[in-house]
Amino acid sequence: MTTVNPTTPPVAPAATDQAWLSDLAGDGPAAQAALTRLHELLLRASRHQVRRLSGLLPGAGATELEDLAQQAADDALVAVLRQLGTFEGRSRFTTWAYKFGVLQAGVAVRRQAWRHREVPLPDTLQLVDAAPSPAALTEAAQLARAVEDAIATQLTPHQRRVVLALLVECVPIDVLADRLGSNRNALYKTLHDARRRLRSALAELGHLDDPDRSTP
Amino acid sequence: MTESRRALDAEAIAALLADTDPYLSCDDCFARIDQYVEARAADPAYEDPAMAAHLRGCGACADEAESLLDLLAQHPD
Repeated sequence: MTTVNPTTPPVAPAATDQAWLSDLAGDGPAAQAALTRLHELLLRASRHQVRRLSGLLPGAGATELEDLAQQAADDALVAVLRQLGTFEGRSRFTTWAYKFGVLQAGVAVRRQAWRHREVPLPDTLQLVDAAPSPAALTEAAQLARAVEDAIATQLTPHQRRVVLALLVECVPIDVLADRLGSNRNALYKTLHDARRRLRSALAELGHLDDPDRSTP
Repeated sequence: MTESRRALDAEAIAALLADTDPYLSCDDCFARIDQYVEARAADPAYEDPAMAAHLRGCGACADEAESLLDLLAQHPD
């Protein structure tokens, strides 16, 4: 196993990376050529991601998918240029740029896939039958029942809505963020805190081997 | 009040109870994901505990990491 300290200090960008930075920071023909190359790079990434996720858009034809990839590449280009000063040479410039194309394309495909779908925002979970059948006496059924109870009793109303939408209704996090006027970062923090509460409750009941945890 | 009609299956339970400590935000994940995938591409045994925990808990970020790894494999230069 190799573990690299993620807080390692920035390294000097490789020569080709330095060329990217200096060309993009300049003006004239070299800058224009660099912008064109960068857009091609981002289009490669966005097409790749749109192709990977095309199953989410079963009715989409080649033209619609290409439009999504082009728009994502355009959006990614804006983001890359805005963030150019944050590139520290921890990876190659091309890999750093790719991630913007992949992000924009993924968000675009998921939004498109949910554009005409209702985003379910349940407040509660349908509980299992109060009179347990023989099957409900199994360990798995008991765990499910304990999880349902913990969702109902241990989470705040906001945590419950986010958890149920993301993990039970399988709403993509970016789609839910749009619906709630939030963002991926905030929803993931809510999810993280909710999971800690659920794990803590399940550990207390003996369903999980878990160290003591705080409940944010 | 709206009630979810979906069953709480094994996959949902695993996702609900995923241990996502140490905490890493999606923004921090995005900031590190390029370095992470290059390290994984060079050495599949490479581990970053915070990234691993985040990718266990965030499907969107995990998908992006997988996509980037695929992309690097297809375009190693």
